[in-house]
Amino acid sequence: MAEAIIKIENVHKYFGQVHALDDVSLEIYKGEVVVILGPSGSGKSTLLRCINHLEVYNTGKITVDGIILKSAQNINLVRQEVGMVFQQFNLFPHLTVLDNVTLAQRVVRKRKPEEAEAIALNLLTKVGIEEKSQAYPLQLSGGQQQRVAIARALAMNPKIMLFDEPTSALDPEMIKEVLDVMLALAKEGMTMVVVSHEMGFARAAASRVIFMDEGRIVEQGQPDQLFDAPKEERTKIFLSKVLQI
Amino acid sequence: MVKTATPATGGSELKLIPGNELPTRIDAWWWLVGAVALIIILLMVFKPDPYRNIVFFVRDGLLTTLLLTVISFVFILIVGIIGGLGRIAKNPAIHFVATMYVEIFRGIPLLVQLIWWYFAAPMVIRSFGNLIDFPPLANYQSNAFVLAVVGLVICYGAYVSEIFRAGIESIPRGQIEAARSQGMTYLQAMRYVILPQALRVVMPPVGNEFIMLIKDTSLVSAVAMADLTRRGREYMSAHFNPIETWTMVALLYLVMTLFFTRLISWLEKRRNLEK
Repeated sequence: MAEAIIKIENVHKYFGQVHALDDVSLEIYKGEVVVILGPSGSGKSTLLRCINHLEVYNTGKITVDGIILKSAQNINLVRQEVGMVFQQFNLFPHLTVLDNVTLAQRVVRKRKPEEAEAIALNLLTKVGIEEKSQAYPLQLSGGQQQRVAIARALAMNPKIMLFDEPTSALDPEMIKEVLDVMLALAKEGMTMVVVSHEMGFARAAASRVIFMDEGRIVEQGQPDQLFDAPKEERTKIFLSKVLQI
Repeated sequence: MVKTATPATGGSELKLIPGNELPTRIDAWWWLVGAVALIIILLMVFKPDPYRNIVFFVRDGLLTTLLLTVISFVFILIVGIIGGLGRIAKNPAIHFVATMYVEIFRGIPLLVQLIWWYFAAPMVIRSFGNLIDFPPLANYQSNAFVLAVVGLVICYGAYVSEIFRAGIESIPRGQIEAARSQGMTYLQAMRYVILPQALRVVMPPVGNEFIMLIKDTSLVSAVAMADLTRRGREYMSAHFNPIETWTMVALLYLVMTLFFTRLISWLEKRRNLEK
């Protein structure tokens, strides 16, 4: 754990008058699984989206794998190394599952179709959905779609995976199949940043849990410490509300 | 009388199963195309003078109308995609140029535009060629067909740009984010992810523009193009039979628009079935 793979320094982000990120600094190391939680509007998704520049931050500095996010060319370089999984899956509905997973490989990585397909089928097998490779996304359940989305992100061989509330749009019985895939990924040593309220996943896989509120990092620590003995009053109130459910 | 369920009702009920309904409905209006074509053929067979003579006289005009429509439409689609992308561009200069283009050319009657291109544009080109001392432009000889295509493409391109803009904007934001997050450039994301989906959305309104275009090409008869309308007028002035001539011209336009309407809706349904 020498050099941080993601280095966020004093980042500020405004949406009009709203101060979405207020002087956020954070270092994430290779192989870490960081879970970010906090009430809605706390800036956790915004922070995640700043890491691959889907949101442009106003001041501060973010370095990903040694590349400072600034110019347009840099951004595409960084995005090739950073996979992202969205709450709404965002699979391409006009392409088959297989083509969803091969498209960026062919277009961005310039892999040959046969090579891209072999990689895709391998990953679809890994997420347990290889028999649906010729189906279209809308023919799949939410859990299946999200697993395809994970395979699609992994196909680019990312060094970092970002998950933006990956289970929030899923029916309860489908959450586990997605979390299982994420757990397996964490065990393989993938660097992961996960915005999620899944306490079970955080306890099982997270090396660090971060609690955010009003655009600031309020508290961070190991999952057991943060969940069982939070230091900050704000964290206690939030956890008491979430854990009641 | 004893009321019993007859096999006949069972049979007719089967036809109401949703899956069986669709294929028959796709073809239901083809009969109208056939009926109009049949009227034209019957008139030609049983009253060759004047109907057969009219059709033979205007057939090159019919070809010009079709060529003009198809060639213009190919360029209209290209202009429409570029214009639509320009209208949603973040770059203020590109956005401004695209918006000005759409606003200006939607606001001038097509007939006035066609007349401008045919009568004014060649003079402008020639005086510009003289100004910069460039003989190819200074000696520009106008070509009615090319100028008619230019006029139609620029005017219809403005309408179709707006259709494409709406189509692109109808695709959820998450689609481009998913594409960009994998390292695709803006143009790659457009080409492989957004436009294929937007094209499906815009197919009905763009198909409608095609039908409109068939009819609007009749305006080129005002600028020395020998299209179907123009040839009809020529026949009429030679033989003084407006009723027969214009009825036949109208039927010929009708059979074209009905045919292409059917073709477009068939293409739409086929695309929907693919989904």
